[in-house]
Amino acid sequence: MISKVKHIHANTSIKRERVLPVAGHVLVRRMQKVSPADVIVVAPLVPQFILLDIAQGLNVNPARADELLQRAAGEDLVQGDVIAGPVGMFQRVVRAPQAGVVKMAGEGKVLFEISSPEYELQAGMEGTITNIIPERGAIIETKGSLIQGVWGNGKITYGVVQPTSNEMLQELVVEQLNIGFRGAIISAGFCRQPEVLEAAGIVPIKGLILGSMSSSLIPLARKMDYPIMVIDGFRETPMNKAAEAILIQNKDKNIALNAQELDTFKGNFPEGIISQSSTTEPDLPSEAETLKAGKKVIIINGPESPQIGKIDKIISGKQVLSNGIETRLAEITLANEKSTTIPLTNLEILKD
Amino acid sequence: MDTTTVAAKSVIAVDIGSTITRSLFFDVVSGKYRFVAFGSAPTTAGAPNFDVTEGIWRSLEELQYITGRALLSEKDGVIIPSTPDNQGVDIMVATMSAGEPISVVTVGLLNTVSLQNARHLAHTTYANIVAEISLNDHRTSSDRINLLIRKRPDLIIITGGTNNGASNSLLSILESIGLSSYMLDESQRPHILYTGNEQLQDEVKAGLSKISKLRIAANIQPVLGEENIHPAQTEINEVYKDIRKKQAGGLREVISWTEGTFTSTASAFGRVIRFLSEKYEPGKGVLGVDIGSDATIMAAAFNGEETLRVFPGLGVGSGSAGVLEKNSLELIKRWMPIELSDKEVRDYIYNKSIYPSSLPLDSDQVEIELALAKQAIRYAAELIIPGLPKQLGAGGTLLPYMEPIIGSGRILTLAPKRYQPLSVLLDGLQPSGVTTLALDQNGLLPGLGIVSETNPLLTVQVIESSTFLNLGTIIAPLGVARPGTTILRIQVNRENGRSFTREIKYGSLSILPVELGEKVSLHLRPLNRFDVGMGGPGKSGKVNAVGGVLGIVIDARGRPLQFSPDLEKNIKRNEQWRKTFSKYE
Repeated sequence: MISKVKHIHANTSIKRERVLPVAGHVLVRRMQKVSPADVIVVAPLVPQFILLDIAQGLNVNPARADELLQRAAGEDLVQGDVIAGPVGMFQRVVRAPQAGVVKMAGEGKVLFEISSPEYELQAGMEGTITNIIPERGAIIETKGSLIQGVWGNGKITYGVVQPTSNEMLQELVVEQLNIGFRGAIISAGFCRQPEVLEAAGIVPIKGLILGSMSSSLIPLARKMDYPIMVIDGFRETPMNKAAEAILIQNKDKNIALNAQELDTFKGNFPEGIISQSSTTEPDLPSEAETLKAGKKVIIINGPESPQIGKIDKIISGKQVLSNGIETRLAEITLANEKSTTIPLTNLEILKD
Repeated sequence: MDTTTVAAKSVIAVDIGSTITRSLFFDVVSGKYRFVAFGSAPTTAGAPNFDVTEGIWRSLEELQYITGRALLSEKDGVIIPSTPDNQGVDIMVATMSAGEPISVVTVGLLNTVSLQNARHLAHTTYANIVAEISLNDHRTSSDRINLLIRKRPDLIIITGGTNNGASNSLLSILESIGLSSYMLDESQRPHILYTGNEQLQDEVKAGLSKISKLRIAANIQPVLGEENIHPAQTEINEVYKDIRKKQAGGLREVISWTEGTFTSTASAFGRVIRFLSEKYEPGKGVLGVDIGSDATIMAAAFNGEETLRVFPGLGVGSGSAGVLEKNSLELIKRWMPIELSDKEVRDYIYNKSIYPSSLPLDSDQVEIELALAKQAIRYAAELIIPGLPKQLGAGGTLLPYMEPIIGSGRILTLAPKRYQPLSVLLDGLQPSGVTTLALDQNGLLPGLGIVSETNPLLTVQVIESSTFLNLGTIIAPLGVARPGTTILRIQVNRENGRSFTREIKYGSLSILPVELGEKVSLHLRPLNRFDVGMGGPGKSGKVNAVGGVLGIVIDARGRPLQFSPDLEKNIKRNEQWRKTFSKYE
């Protein structure tokens, strides 16, 4: 059976596409080094239009209004510029309501695009631009540590990572959130109290990485101004040991935290990237691999989640679980040397 | 008709689901079409493959292994047509539900009339309505243009105006649609489906055909109060296919294998339910329910008239969080026969939505999934019932009389206990009168639906080959009484001449011991003006029935099912119902 690879890597190659959904102006060039705050591409993400009824404004019929037009499509205007007219005893005119561009004109109407501030898409991570996607953005590559999550509140940031303790076994509580964490991206085992998320916003922290979180906090977590990423799932369990090790080893280093919402179809996972200078050239990680003896796996469901273990054996044929479900199982030795059997469907592959 | 009289052809029907891709193999066995086997593999429409052919290939490899028949060649891909030495397959057809729902903006004159039609139409496919525009929304033309540009929908459905009715008001909205489409990149311009006043069709063509991918269908409401959805439903299915062809890698190759016989899973599902309604029990409707990982489909058909509704984001895998968000934890927990904390249930549901393929490890987790399935079906049923014919059966908020009701989806077919699929369908749908609950145990319905278009004989012969598992005949009397009051006397006459009688009390759930496949004649005598679908309240009658997996189930719990605000009481009652069923597991 083929399983998804959960991306928790101490040292890997990372390649990310940063693009806008609309055409814009790309500001970077190939092989340029970028930092997270560098702007990759700018574009009016949501252009605003006004449909001006020239005929009505001039109190003439549409054909006559077209004759009175002073501007053609493509012309840039400042606020107050005359678009059409004058006409009549009082020299009626229609003026540009704001600065903008005439997009279309005819049949007594003008479609006018208002100048609006351009959206700036930042790199969001350190790296090198390896490819330009014309008018849309670029591809950034880097080497370093990667921690993939399963839930994010849709926000993005960059800052210093600070674990709240040397072992992310414990619940994050309000008392831990001292002033020393101000401006940091903190990491902890799990969270179940709304007061903690609120207190973290007051410190204020820059971001929060949790092993797990109570699902009752989802609505509040979505409202928080800072990014929140959950690595393992919705429960009250310590962070998986692979992610914990990376976060502790990289204490006080910069992490690019993209707590984007999970979209497995598009392959968008929330993630944290810690760029590292490395002399090796690690391969890009595979996305899916076959479950077989010897593979390192993480348990994604059940009381043993999110423990990490190694597959000793895939049991041949379907087996019956205590609840009556028939499925394929693997025998696994956990990090604490205990053995267990887990359905293959409840495992993901973990690569070092 | 025997298949020896027609050119018999083997068929593979591929269904590209959101999680699993399945390849069903049909061939002629002893002169009749039969379902032979299926292969399955994870769907590869999304990340990281972004190519549906990978999943299809793997499912065919499994099918090849199971059947021992070579279906693939390294050089040519799928071997079509079959060779004289029985390699390959003659015909391949495909259905698809994988992919994000298409985003739709509905446009109509009035919120209560034409927008309602547009919503019905959008709900016949995998679509999310992201905005609505109507004359009474008080938006200016500029507001409409900006809204459409901000939403960038895949499809705009335009309805409004009866034939020979209003035209000027609709034209003003069309101007905004045309301008907004023109302002978008050509690659981002929406499909437009016009299904409004037919007098405006020429103007719509002149104004929009050069700017957008325009389709025109007959007016969805030609006269006030009369909905004619089917021509537009055909067109929206074509739009769905066009969008998927553009989005899903490898789909063009699949369409070439199938020579164009490709449609949405929901459309094929609806088609087979319609087909069944034309063939069987014209007095009642046929109902199909498919509960998938991400979406639920409900299709009802009465004498060939189909009502189809797709509920994206309402499922028991990736759609499980959607069930919770569209309902409430209380509505899900009310179905459970065990006490679990809100936290346990909520966390399980959200974990299931991020790990949809993971399996429940204990009986408690199975109960959460079954409760999710019941509430998903209940939610869907409550939304579809108002649009079903009311003259047949209970009407109102209750399901009209149906025969049969067919359920499909892995939550039902892989349920560990035999009573569980019946319990999910019975509680979720709450049918009344006499009906049969059946299970599409091999997930054939979409495949049979799409095949019925070109080879109806295959569909008929496979359906008649007992491919659906009879879960049980259901008798559900309608009426009101005090719990414990006798409301029905049933005499069961077996084929061997023996008979027995039962008195049914209001509030009870009971099972008559009839073996799977055993034919019996039932004499139903309702009391206290209860109605068992024999022509009205208090009317008796005879009905032939066949025992299902659970024999014959008498559901006298009342309609709709009532729940106590006391959680403990609910749990006890659910446990009692479960015990009734589990005697026959």
